[in-house]
Amino acid sequence: MMAKVKKYSFKRYRKYIIPVLVLLAVAEGAGLACGASLARLQEGLFKGVAFFGYMFPPDWSAFSEMLQPAFQSIIIAFLGTVFGTLLSVVFAMLAASNLSNSWVRNITRFLIGLERSVPEIVILLLLIAAFGLGAMPGIIALALGCVGMLGKLLADVIEEIDYKMIESMESVGANKMQVIVFGVLPQIIPNLISYALFRFEINIRLSVILGAVGAGGIGYELDYSFGMLQYHRAFTAMLVIIVMIFGTEHLSNILREKIKVGGALK
Amino acid sequence: MIEVKNLTKSLPNGRKVLDGISFKVNKGEFVGILGPSGAGKTLTLRCLNGLLKPDSGSVIIQDDSNSGYDICKVSKRELRTIRERIGVVFQGYHLVKRLSALENVMIGRLGQINTLRSIFYGFTDAEADEAIKALEKVKMAHMADTPTGNLSGGEMQRVAIARAIFQSPTLLLADEPISNLDPSNAKSIMKMIRPLSEIMPVVGVFHQPEMTAKYCTRVIAIKEGKVIYDGDPKLTEAQLVEIYGEELEQIEHQEHTIPALITN
Repeated sequence: MMAKVKKYSFKRYRKYIIPVLVLLAVAEGAGLACGASLARLQEGLFKGVAFFGYMFPPDWSAFSEMLQPAFQSIIIAFLGTVFGTLLSVVFAMLAASNLSNSWVRNITRFLIGLERSVPEIVILLLLIAAFGLGAMPGIIALALGCVGMLGKLLADVIEEIDYKMIESMESVGANKMQVIVFGVLPQIIPNLISYALFRFEINIRLSVILGAVGAGGIGYELDYSFGMLQYHRAFTAMLVIIVMIFGTEHLSNILREKIKVGGALK
Repeated sequence: MIEVKNLTKSLPNGRKVLDGISFKVNKGEFVGILGPSGAGKTLTLRCLNGLLKPDSGSVIIQDDSNSGYDICKVSKRELRTIRERIGVVFQGYHLVKRLSALENVMIGRLGQINTLRSIFYGFTDAEADEAIKALEKVKMAHMADTPTGNLSGGEMQRVAIARAIFQSPTLLLADEPISNLDPSNAKSIMKMIRPLSEIMPVVGVFHQPEMTAKYCTRVIAIKEGKVIYDGDPKLTEAQLVEIYGEELEQIEHQEHTIPALITN
């Protein structure tokens, strides 16, 4: 009986004490280093709640002004996804061991990995330096952003295609281009569509963020409203963004279901 | 006519997998290559359409339309042209599963038509009719629109044969075409391949001596990279022992258990 009690005593937590203390010490040190503290958190929380008070109610008169930028954001995300997916297919084929030689494959895989390690915002800032502000650098940034993720995923899908099937097409005298169109594309299209839809959902969010940095669209409206201290207007923009993201996600879910039900997709 | 002369091939570790293989197959012949596993049967077959380059030796393919070429010495581009007229049926069918049976048959002609046309304009109605006829020959025309991923093994192999027929080849190669099939499907596939040998030489790798005895016109046995038998398809028990050695028991055992294991 005694032993049982001992088993559940406080002693069994002793081994956790040191790690927890270390973690707290690190957190405190980090807080000191970048000026974060519990007091500031508390202050900020109260301010934040109060801030919502300032923002409420949304400025519905600004609603009609938000529609065009929202649409622009969706278009930026859509075009970025379309171009990005096409670009990714090319990169994926160069990066797949069964379609390309090992040199090209390794270089392409390296480039894809490199792209993945660069955030879209950094790409956008570089592009803005080159193209100036606007939707175009936003579209290019999102398209390039696709390659890091879709390029890798699709390359892996292509590598899973049975090499013997490609070999059997080569043994009727088909060339590379024909092998790709008749052997590879039909096999990867279901994955291609479902990955592209997933990336579209990500790109919608990113297009809002990139908008605030200089790619235009609803993100810019949000940033502008905050900057001009028009909090009611900013609230409207936030609501529009939320509806926009929910809506596109719902749409892509419907499309994804359709593909699943359809089974063989042509 | 296809003539193989003195094929040799060594692995990087020095082991000779093909050690002077020579034989000749004429139109009208259906030759079955037998031998224990690892003997070099499939490697020999892969040399016949240039999927594998031997270390030395030659493979001469000759028909009415040309005076003969050595497939081991042609350029990559020429090899593609030659392959247009070599039908190949594989053990694993190797069809594009998301394309329909008809589309898979059409793939057989890819090498023979212009790349741009194949990609952008598609196939002509005449070609589609011919492809349907090829499917009719293997009794699969009623499933022309079914994605091949939904077909059974026997049906897939029929589509693969239709693809080879549609190529209108001058040589047909078959790499263990019936190894994954149950006996009744295997028989019907053999019955379909047999008459093709009247139009072109047919060379196949098989694991079933009783099938080659029944349907082939000639049997070649390969062991340790050498041809050890070349002649009448009906082999005696002693000859089988010589070819397969200890593996013979497995092969016979396999034949009794396959019907129970494979439900197609």
